[in-house]
Amino acid sequence: MIARNETIFKWALYAAATALCMLVQTGLLQRLEFWGVLPFLYPLLAAIPATFQGPLAGSIFSLCVGVVCDLLLPGPIPCLYTLAFPVIGLCAGLLAQSWLPAGFLCSLVSAAAAFLLTDGLLCLVLWMRGHAAWEAGALVMVREFCVTVPFIIPLTLLYRSVYRRTQLDD
Amino acid sequence: MKNFLKQHGLWVLFAAAVLSVAMAVLSVLSANSSPLANLTGIVVSPFRAGYTAIANWFNDFQNYYKDNTDLREENAALRRRIAQMEETIRQAEADVAENKKFRELLNLTKQRRDLTDFEACMITEHEVTNWTSSLTLNKGTSLGIEVGDCVIDECGNLVGVVSQAGTNWSTVLTLVDTDTSLGAQVFRTKDLGVAQGDFSLMREQRLRLDYLPADCSLLPGDVVVTSGLNGIYPSGLVIGSVEELRKDDSGASSYAILAPETDLDSLTEVFVIKSFEIVT
Repeated sequence: MIARNETIFKWALYAAATALCMLVQTGLLQRLEFWGVLPFLYPLLAAIPATFQGPLAGSIFSLCVGVVCDLLLPGPIPCLYTLAFPVIGLCAGLLAQSWLPAGFLCSLVSAAAAFLLTDGLLCLVLWMRGHAAWEAGALVMVREFCVTVPFIIPLTLLYRSVYRRTQLDD
Repeated sequence: MKNFLKQHGLWVLFAAAVLSVAMAVLSVLSANSSPLANLTGIVVSPFRAGYTAIANWFNDFQNYYKDNTDLREENAALRRRIAQMEETIRQAEADVAENKKFRELLNLTKQRRDLTDFEACMITEHEVTNWTSSLTLNKGTSLGIEVGDCVIDECGNLVGVVSQAGTNWSTVLTLVDTDTSLGAQVFRTKDLGVAQGDFSLMREQRLRLDYLPADCSLLPGDVVVTSGLNGIYPSGLVIGSVEELRKDDSGASSYAILAPETDLDSLTEVFVIKSFEIVT
């Protein structure tokens, strides 16, 4: 019973942190444009928690983030983020488990992989629908990643504090 | 003193009498004032000026304090008044802008009798990702807005098409979004084509006019409107104007780059066409 309560508390904290980041994205970042693109935190929200929680828990959490994103954001297909984010969570979890310990560097590499997967999938969907735009898509991906990179630091700190809090409670 | 008066009283009295007589004579002879009075005045004058200055200073200080208090109160009252007036002006400006939009829409309704039912909506959110060009509106299905409804600005220029509709919200994909595809017609030449978004042009707020006939002769500035074929969208809504004509990668056919007539970035209010009549 106690373990179950702790699990609920842990994921409630992760959900609250993610909701806060989504609030910052919708309330602030969506109104700011740098280098012709908007900062886009959502792939980071799928990648960074997974680096702390491992591949299984991370991919399930990322799946939930993906579902929320698909409900909130317009996209070329209705389940784009639901498809992309669990893969991102799995990759980020495996990366943190096997090669790079969870931290800023691991978050940076996971974020790069997250943008590559998400934007690559978007380019693929556009291509399948007859609107191929690989060059323009790659340019947007690079710009999007560059303007979002600074946010890796606060997000890593936020999720690390959640991780430490829940680990202590464990 | 008593002895002095006994010994010299008569002389003093005499001197006083002489002085009095002399002063009387001098005052009669003098045009302005007697020398003695003048001398007294000269001696007293600085003191008189001094205490007058001090009294004036006190008066000034008192007046300054009173004036300052009054001015502060008056300033506060004026600030309140200005704030009220500014608010009134802001409201008036908003009303004028709204009035102008409704007047233009009224003219549009008179000109376009086929557009039978509009819903005025505020834009609550512009683009939310870098991969779509969308607008979120503050009205939805509760007011009759449905997926596929055309959205126009106050001048009747096409803005986009409703792609999702909730109870009190709806999402519009703008003309330049990759998912937008509309039957279009060049107003001057009557050539038909398909206006559709292109990802590589989306950030520049441009779209393509594809499937043009081989012999079409478009000119920059040609106006492109909705064709209204199949009755999915109303006809004659202004999409934009031709910016340039390009050949596709194969070189066999050409397409035109269109600049939307409406300024998508500055839109704050749009009108959803809820129903229209098909003009034949």
